[in-house]
Amino acid sequence: MKILVVLRMIPDSAGELELTGDGRGIDREWLDFQLNDFDDHALEEAILLKEAAGATVVAVAIGEGSNRVLQMAVARGADEAIALEAEADGMIDSRAIAGSIVALARSKAADLVLCGVQSTEDLFGQLVPYAGARLGWPHVSGSSRLSIEASALRVTQERGGGIAATYEIALPAVIGVQTASKAPRYVSGSKLREASKTAMGKAASEPAGFERSAEIVALRLPGQRGTGENLGDNPENVADRLASILAAKGFAGV
Amino acid sequence: MSETPILWIVTLAAVALTLWRSRRYVATLALAPGASRFDQPWRRLEGLAIAIGLHRKMLRKQLSGILHALIFVSFFVLFTVTIEAFGSRLFPGFSLAPIGGDSWIALLQDLFAVLMLVGLGLAVYQRYILKPARFRGSSGNDAAIIYALILLIVSSLLIEAGARIVGGADGSWRPVASLVADLLRVLSVQAHPTEQIAYWVHIGAILAFLVYIPGSKHRHMFLAAPNIYFRNLEPAGTAPAVPPERENPGVASLAQFDWKQQLDLLSCTECGRCQAVCPAYASGLPLSPKMLITDMRDALADETSTPLVGGVIAEETLWACTTCRACMEACPVEIEHLPKIIDMRRHLVDEGHVSPMLQDALSNLTRLGNSMGKPSKMRARWTKELGFPVKDARSEPVDVLWFVGDYASYDPRVQDVTRKVAELFTAAGVDFGILFDAERNSGNDVRRVGEEGLFETLAQSNIDAIRECSFNRIVTTDPHSLNALKNDYRHFGAEFEVLHYTALLAELVTAGRLDIAPAGGATVTYHDPCYLGRYNGGFDAPRDLIKAAGYALHDMPRCRENSFCCGAGGGRIWQGDDGVKERPSENRIREALGLGVGIFVVACPKDKVMYTAATDALGVAGQLKVVDVAELIRLREAPAAEGYDRIEGGAING
Ligand code: SF4
Ligand code: SF4
Repeated sequence: MKILVVLRMIPDSAGELELTGDGRGIDREWLDFQLNDFDDHALEEAILLKEAAGATVVAVAIGEGSNRVLQMAVARGADEAIALEAEADGMIDSRAIAGSIVALARSKAADLVLCGVQSTEDLFGQLVPYAGARLGWPHVSGSSRLSIEASALRVTQERGGGIAATYEIALPAVIGVQTASKAPRYVSGSKLREASKTAMGKAASEPAGFERSAEIVALRLPGQRGTGENLGDNPENVADRLASILAAKGFAGV
Repeated sequence: MSETPILWIVTLAAVALTLWRSRRYVATLALAPGASRFDQPWRRLEGLAIAIGLHRKMLRKQLSGILHALIFVSFFVLFTVTIEAFGSRLFPGFSLAPIGGDSWIALLQDLFAVLMLVGLGLAVYQRYILKPARFRGSSGNDAAIIYALILLIVSSLLIEAGARIVGGADGSWRPVASLVADLLRVLSVQAHPTEQIAYWVHIGAILAFLVYIPGSKHRHMFLAAPNIYFRNLEPAGTAPAVPPERENPGVASLAQFDWKQQLDLLSCTECGRCQAVCPAYASGLPLSPKMLITDMRDALADETSTPLVGGVIAEETLWACTTCRACMEACPVEIEHLPKIIDMRRHLVDEGHVSPMLQDALSNLTRLGNSMGKPSKMRARWTKELGFPVKDARSEPVDVLWFVGDYASYDPRVQDVTRKVAELFTAAGVDFGILFDAERNSGNDVRRVGEEGLFETLAQSNIDAIRECSFNRIVTTDPHSLNALKNDYRHFGAEFEVLHYTALLAELVTAGRLDIAPAGGATVTYHDPCYLGRYNGGFDAPRDLIKAAGYALHDMPRCRENSFCCGAGGGRIWQGDDGVKERPSENRIREALGLGVGIFVVACPKDKVMYTAATDALGVAGQLKVVDVAELIRLREAPAAEGYDRIEGGAING
């Protein structure tokens, strides 16, 4: 079995977000990038499947800092690492990258494509349905456990109210992982350094394959909307202000 | 005479039995990986002479030190009795008489037999009446058996000598044996049979002792000296590198420890001095440095024992250590606890066995170079609120390259102190610069948490950045960075001149470059940070600064080398408080409260955080103020709101 895992680099939310001059994008110059958390779980699930049932794991990373994350993927057990070319300084648009993922899934003869159920730049989890539709494969999003039972894939999906549904799906398939069956493992620095010796592959981006349908005309940063108060970032002031607010609302006898 | 062959047989049998009982230890030491501990013989001998001859560490505990010295010296004097007892019958005709065996040696033997009994009495008094907590977990049987054997050996030798006097021997050089002789006469025992019985009891007890030693803590009689001789001569702050021949970074079985680490295990005297000073043990965590050693020692003898890491030594035990080094400082036989703990942690980390909190911190460090998960671009954010620009050492030459460190850079509770240090440097005309976002965590605690690979990455990145700069000296805020840059980076061939900011400030004060307005002489206390004091000997500069700032210092009972860790080191700051009954920082604050001072002076950014939290948790923040030594210093021309004038004279207005 061959598993393709998609790893997207997203802006570190601890950094300060600023808009580009045209107001239609995030200024990426001063940002640190990190692996999308859900994709981290997808990688872990792929490695767990490999350990349980045997598989070849191909990690595909997109965005700034891809190489570092690919190294980490190899250190954790991925067999092949590919950096997918992406538009520099751009958002990772699921519609735009779906074509490249599909092309890689075909050229690598993947049986299973795993990616995080969503990312900060794909909050509605469109990558999975896009890729599934283009490949003509079944797809499920929001998995919390994957296992292989007699060459079929079992997918447990979290639903509302604590209900979990388990599907059995014929491979090939595309799955959007919400959480891996186990928390992503820690990989030590010495394993990372070892992995840095592995050669990283590259892949060119493919046309999206969808008609252009909409475009961003404006982005807005999270800001004050009247209902909240920004307490600032000086801890003493924050504490004082918070204490007086609580006192004013009758929560504490400060 | 038929006694000679009997004695030969008994003696040889006892020696053979002793060797047989030691066989496993001998084999494991012989097969252990190598360690280079054969250099600098004179320095090694000198240390050995001080440790044993002067009983230097032993005497830190007065009663123990004195009683041990009594037993130790008496043992050597009474060894002449043993030589005579065995020599005279193994080799008929042998006698010490020609060199004074019947005169001055006899007198010494007599007197030291009594001193031995005095030492023994004190030992019994200490162990059974005083019952120091440090003996908790030590083998009580071992001690009792040895007391009984010593008593038997000494009393039998006195009775033998006494009986000889009754039988007509000259007692003029043996005042004590003469008294025993009087007693024997009163009891009207027969001289010759009594002498014979006493002789064989004496021989039997000595041989029993010999046979008993290999399985007991009394191995230290033979092993303490070599263990001290082969002690680590590297700077205390250099964590042992991973030997190149090792396949994985860590150690997963006892056999992977080099022979010195294994010799350590066999040398432990179970004195518990390490346990008594351990902050992890005091806080109720499942770590006693003594039991760490003895558990591993027992496993060395037991082939059936469980895996070392996670079996013989629990994972929680390994993670409890703050790497404060108090145990190693206290150990009279120079046992090295920390290299073992770090090597076993390396194994856990390599296997990915880390707690979620630690995993977060390490992942942040991997990704961003700091444990807090803050963007590296924000590292120098604290400079924004300074009234002057700080030089970028990457683009212009500086005299002093300031390695600020994570806590001093990012933690809002410490940034004020960092700015104060910058102001003092500026006021003194120091030409300094920082690395801005090129600085990474120094890796000191990363290394001690067992993450050697990440440490190498961080260190290399810092070394590359530092080498790009033109500077004369490095100064650090954090004692942990000080230690890494000064000691650990030597592994990469980087030998920088590194000093702590307190050392630089003290230098500036001496040179008259800081115009200090001294405070009114209020009394303060000071906490020695482990990585500044015990690790790097930086005891005096902070004390000089306190004095120069116009305060009087009242040290806590545990100060300087004996300072008590705040509990944050060795990666503990990245772990939860699960299982902690009393936080080490709170234990320390209680100690300070006992002095009745109003200010608790610190010289480490982590200490500011830890102790402020501790005074808050204990509800004593109004009584005891945690102040960095830099904050104590008030300059004459300083802006009005600066300095600690609010607490001058000991009056504290929160
Ligand atoms: S280094 Fe400190 S915390 Fe660790 S075992 Fe020794 S005394 Fe205890
Ligand atoms: S390790 Fe050292 S200090 Fe601790 S019990 Fe053993 S001999 Fe004593």
